[in-house]
Amino acid sequence: MSEFNIADLFRKPANQLEPGGVPRKPADDREQCPRCKQYFPRKRLEKNNRVCPSCGHHMSLSARRRLEAVCAVGSFSELFSDITARDFLNFPGYEEKLKKARDGSGENEGVICGTGIIGGVRCALFAMESAFMMGSMGAAVGERITRTFEYATVNRLPVVGFTASGGARMQEGIISLMQMAKISGAIQRHGEAGGFYLAILTHPTTGGVTASFAMLGDIIIAEPKALVGFAGKRVIEHTTKSKLAADFQTAEFVLKHGFLDAIVERKQLGDVIGRLLKQHTTEKKI
Amino acid sequence: MFKKILVANRGEIAVRIIRACREMGIATVAVYSEPDKNALHAALADERICIGPASAVQSYLNMQNIISAALATHAEAIHPGYGFLSENSLFAALCVQNDIVFIGPESEVIDRMGNKDQARRLMISAGVPVIPGSGVVKDVTAAKKAAAKIGYPLLVKASAGGGGKGIRIVEREEDLEKSVVAACEEAKKAFGCGDVFLEKYLTSVRHVEVQILADQAGNVVCLGERDCSLQIGRQKVIEETPCPAIDESVRKKLWEAAVKAVKAAKYTNAGTVEFLLAPDGNFYFIEMNTRLQVEHRISEEVSGIDLVKWQIRIASQIELPFKQEDIRLHGASIECRINAAGGGKVSFLHIPGGTRVSFDTALVQNAEVTPFYDSMIGKLITAGNDREEAVRKMEAALCELVISGVPTNIEKQSEIIRSPEFHGAEYDTAWLQRKMKNEEIKNKN
Repeated sequence: MSEFNIADLFRKPANQLEPGGVPRKPADDREQCPRCKQYFPRKRLEKNNRVCPSCGHHMSLSARRRLEAVCAVGSFSELFSDITARDFLNFPGYEEKLKKARDGSGENEGVICGTGIIGGVRCALFAMESAFMMGSMGAAVGERITRTFEYATVNRLPVVGFTASGGARMQEGIISLMQMAKISGAIQRHGEAGGFYLAILTHPTTGGVTASFAMLGDIIIAEPKALVGFAGKRVIEHTTKSKLAADFQTAEFVLKHGFLDAIVERKQLGDVIGRLLKQHTTEKKI
Repeated sequence: MFKKILVANRGEIAVRIIRACREMGIATVAVYSEPDKNALHAALADERICIGPASAVQSYLNMQNIISAALATHAEAIHPGYGFLSENSLFAALCVQNDIVFIGPESEVIDRMGNKDQARRLMISAGVPVIPGSGVVKDVTAAKKAAAKIGYPLLVKASAGGGGKGIRIVEREEDLEKSVVAACEEAKKAFGCGDVFLEKYLTSVRHVEVQILADQAGNVVCLGERDCSLQIGRQKVIEETPCPAIDESVRKKLWEAAVKAVKAAKYTNAGTVEFLLAPDGNFYFIEMNTRLQVEHRISEEVSGIDLVKWQIRIASQIELPFKQEDIRLHGASIECRINAAGGGKVSFLHIPGGTRVSFDTALVQNAEVTPFYDSMIGKLITAGNDREEAVRKMEAALCELVISGVPTNIEKQSEIIRSPEFHGAEYDTAWLQRKMKNEEIKNKN
């Protein structure tokens, strides 16, 4: 049938849909796994904590869902949610971007902080929201995380932080870069007071976040295949004029080069965090 | 009613299902393997998705790809046709898991009826006659004890069996041990389960099956029986309805047994209960096919009920509007399976027509017959006011059917139709095989 396609010869019948039967509820939202390209009902993916049931790819998970997944039911209580970004530089388009990010993600900032219980241990938590301007770090994000560490130090709590960020928020200029130092200082004081900090790097953890608090965990773990790096792969290749490994900046590559302690699958994360918290938290220490 | 259905099959049955959907106003999604790109079923559907290369394992049996195609196209239900995934309980469960309706019985029912030993025990408890036999025999000693009770000749059968695998005929006691061990090994290899049981081996039997429709409200109707005794190597060749070898009293009992079987299995949708019919009029349950059958068309011809449409309606939770007493079976119908004896390209195609003559096929001019799938390329179906008329129509239609470019069994089918045994309806399940063998010997000499 090389000359023509027989499909073009048939016409669509004008028959109306037969009546009767139980109408199907509107088809559940379907989503495609970016790696294996298979479709799944969103409900099924959510149930599986957004890990692809077919290829095991760890798809993006909202910050709130992430915290729900690891914390004991109902134990998470949010803190510092009143700290939000302001357009203090009158950066063109920033206000609109913020509005869009708030509407799109349902969150008012790029990080959610609070306290919760994991594996029976109370801890302070933060989780970055990649759906909010790619989890970029501005003054409000920096302030929320800093206060989380300070709260943990005062209340003798370990800190569990999930990072997911494109880096510093360019619309806040130098102020956004200062957050790196501010958060790092808070982590330093938390550590000096005997506090434990567990960093969990999720896809993608890049830029100023990698260059500061993501890499300052007492223990640093990552999700499988998460992108972990500072500058982008193409930028580095262009600057250094050299070809980089195919798996460059994957969690597996970073682990192999000693910047990570472990890679943990999402379904085991709650258990692993719980165990680590138990091992590293004693009444005496904090 | 479903707005869109994905048809997880190919060939004539995919075309058959898509046609039903086109009549019902349901949009269709076809799936196809790479060599089936220009196939009729793909062309006739509203949307088409390639699900993999030629190998059936990677395409028509690739559950995840098919589910994904349904989700991507927002199909609400999947019709599996026959063969491929139609009796795969895992696939039926996967559909439900993905919020897609599987047009067929529930996964658990497929499982229940797929395990021969379990199905047999269920039938015994429901009062459906089964072939005298044993439960699973644990060892040779147990087999010997059970065999003495049943009597020889007997069959050793795999519990998880199908497709003739794991089956041995044992004529004498001294062969029993060897056969049990061999069937066990074969079953383990083929199905991952080495359980075997014994069964009386009946001779001069006919294969008679009863077509059933059952809705989700528990209504069950029987659409008559089909005689499928004309087989070569366990493959059906010609089917007819009604069975010409039974009288009304046996027919009544047969239908009642089938309805009992379906009710015991809590079966829904279209299904077939298969029986062996002994010359004395006794019949025994063999198995239940939890899907549409190839030969469903002849039951449609005599009942006037479109089985595929009712499969879809039942899956959409519509109740059957007719009861058993409303079913009127009229006349007789015959189906000849037209098989390709090799690959080729259809250079000329002529399909016979006229009243109550049809040829269900996916063949079109220039279509390629590839070696990747089942060799059946069409079903010639005739129907008449009685068997005589249906046979005359078949004789004429076979002579008019032309498929040039592809070797087929059309002439062989004519020979069977012309034989006095077929005319007199004096055949059993072994007759055709015997006839073929005799002819082979004759030709050699």
